[in-house]
Amino acid sequence: MKRSALVTLFLTLFAGTVCAENVTSPIPIGIGVAQTSNVALLGEEEVVGAKIAEKYFNAHGGINGTPFKLIFQDTGGDEAGAINSFQTLINRDKVVGIVGPTLSQQAFSADPIANRAKVPVIGPSNTAKGIPQIGEYVGRVSAPVAIVAPNALKQALKEHPGIKKVAVLYAQNDAFNTSESGTFQETVKKMGLQIATLQKFQTTDTDFTSQVTAVLGANVDLAIVSGLSADGGNLVKQLRQLGYKGPIIGGNGLNTVNIFPVCGQYCDGILIAQAYSPSADPKNAINAAMAAEYRAKYKREPPQFTAQTFTAVQVFVEALRKVETVTKKKITQLDLAKVREELNKQIRTGSYMTPLGKISLDQEGEIHQENFYVAKIKMDANGKTGSYIYVK
Amino acid sequence: MNDFLQNNGFLIVTMVQQALLAMSLYYPLMCGQLSLASPGFYALGGYVAAIIGTIEYFAPWRDSLGWVIFPLEWLAAGIISGILALLVGIPALRLRGIYLALATIAFVEILRVICLNLTITGGAIGIFGVPQLFESRWSYIWTFGPLLILMLLFSYRLDCSRVGRAFKAIREDELAADAMGINPTRYKVLAFVIGAMLAGVVGAMSAPFLNTWNARQGTFDASIAYLAYVLIGGSRSMWGPLLGGALLAALPEILRPLKDSRLIINGLVLVFASIYMPQGIAGALGKLRDNVGRSFGFFRGGK
Repeated sequence: MKRSALVTLFLTLFAGTVCAENVTSPIPIGIGVAQTSNVALLGEEEVVGAKIAEKYFNAHGGINGTPFKLIFQDTGGDEAGAINSFQTLINRDKVVGIVGPTLSQQAFSADPIANRAKVPVIGPSNTAKGIPQIGEYVGRVSAPVAIVAPNALKQALKEHPGIKKVAVLYAQNDAFNTSESGTFQETVKKMGLQIATLQKFQTTDTDFTSQVTAVLGANVDLAIVSGLSADGGNLVKQLRQLGYKGPIIGGNGLNTVNIFPVCGQYCDGILIAQAYSPSADPKNAINAAMAAEYRAKYKREPPQFTAQTFTAVQVFVEALRKVETVTKKKITQLDLAKVREELNKQIRTGSYMTPLGKISLDQEGEIHQENFYVAKIKMDANGKTGSYIYVK
Repeated sequence: MNDFLQNNGFLIVTMVQQALLAMSLYYPLMCGQLSLASPGFYALGGYVAAIIGTIEYFAPWRDSLGWVIFPLEWLAAGIISGILALLVGIPALRLRGIYLALATIAFVEILRVICLNLTITGGAIGIFGVPQLFESRWSYIWTFGPLLILMLLFSYRLDCSRVGRAFKAIREDELAADAMGINPTRYKVLAFVIGAMLAGVVGAMSAPFLNTWNARQGTFDASIAYLAYVLIGGSRSMWGPLLGGALLAALPEILRPLKDSRLIINGLVLVFASIYMPQGIAGALGKLRDNVGRSFGFFRGGK
């Protein structure tokens, strides 16, 4: 008797409801991002974006009148956590699709699970090579670094058409910066410019005299720095202090306000490519609505991950609407497996007007984004605070 | 039942996997050596399996051998881990107590940074698209389960053997054991190598299980997690690490309905467990058995 009670408790704890084959109302969409661990710094920005999207689209009619709700399952920072979160969303919460996970490494672990279960996934922040190729149910709205980074170079050439010789510097002990610098080097060559000097450093370095001397000696017109905030910031500072006057492009590692205290007034003028801009296109109504909501709540500009997660939810919502148009039935009258399959097809058709601008997903699930942006750091007169001004 | 396995199969297999990793720490502890090197060998084993499973060079092997390649991966991972453990163990095990723990942490860090920078290990992104042995996560119990049973049998036999008694003698008093004709270095290295090989094989089994492998698998955080398994479970019998690993791996998932507060509860459980069960769960259960036995007068415990 006692044992059977225990078994029942166990089953209700773990298994939840069994066999609800039709989609429930409100329509469940899963969000599996990192809400705990050290990755939560990024994950929390994504949670905010998802919540703003839920409020916004439900206020704008939901899925042709049927509301949807987001179900959050924390992935933590590791691979096992991502698999657990995805399995819970797929089997217990019976979601129609999943937005997540936060890290590319987690995506390589959890996305195959969703792909095998035939549940569409949209990655809000997975920028590594090979993510859409995991399977036919995997897509993303985060453009890979190889697409985003070259935009800064184009902007620099627009501002300074005379650029011929380029210095490339990167932190060789960091995987992201090494690959990002590879992209920069290829782009430089493709644009017919000359790499006058290629300098390596470590993310733990503080003294960059030898690299700076080499850059000054090569008499370059442009310096490209791929590093993290502390080392990259110091390198920029020493470049300026020792007399480098030309433009500087920073990689994504410098794309944070944390560099302001490091290079102070010398941060001024660094160009950094962006996948998102809060204020680029004033005619983009949906971006204006999202940014206004974010500013009202947090008193600052919305970050990129918030916009990308908002976009991922939007793609699901608009694709669900298309599913209803195509099948001529309400989602809640359809079988769950059928909705997931049809939803995956519809995600990959047509284009979406999102906070990122106009985007579409190709058959593989890779994002095609029309506009990229470039920001220039503008330091305040006190040399301590500053802001990112969008120049493109 | 099928639904239950669909939902929780991954978690159950993870519990077994973590229990095995906790056991890899148990062998050095049998002779009183606190080694935190297991995550390093775990990561190494995973890389061996992921590399054999994905790179072009082994493609003809994979095609001709079929599923037999998987046991070969485990074997290769075990042997490579064992050899590396021998090389690292001989100098490192001259250190004692906290210094050995620090040296093994350093070893884990060195391995991690090397893997982060090599091309063959895929840098920070790691290796993905690792070939699968089974379709569903639950089926991986057929690799981890038998290994656990095997290791339990092994530990049980080891406990009664001459080697096991030598381990315990060294744990209780190294000088006295030396005086009795036991070579402490030899046995300490042996215990270290057994733990390393186990961690390596578990790593090789885990690479397909997790679909991907990267440098984040063997970190300092993991070292501390495994140590907690042994401390909470109890380090004096083979059941301790087993219970600790399984329980602590499951706890965050069981507490999932609590949402944001789940990690707070998780932490509280750890704190209270270590205050009220200084001998670990296995120790507390043993004491309970003794007390109950005494009060009823029909069962007398071992002590």
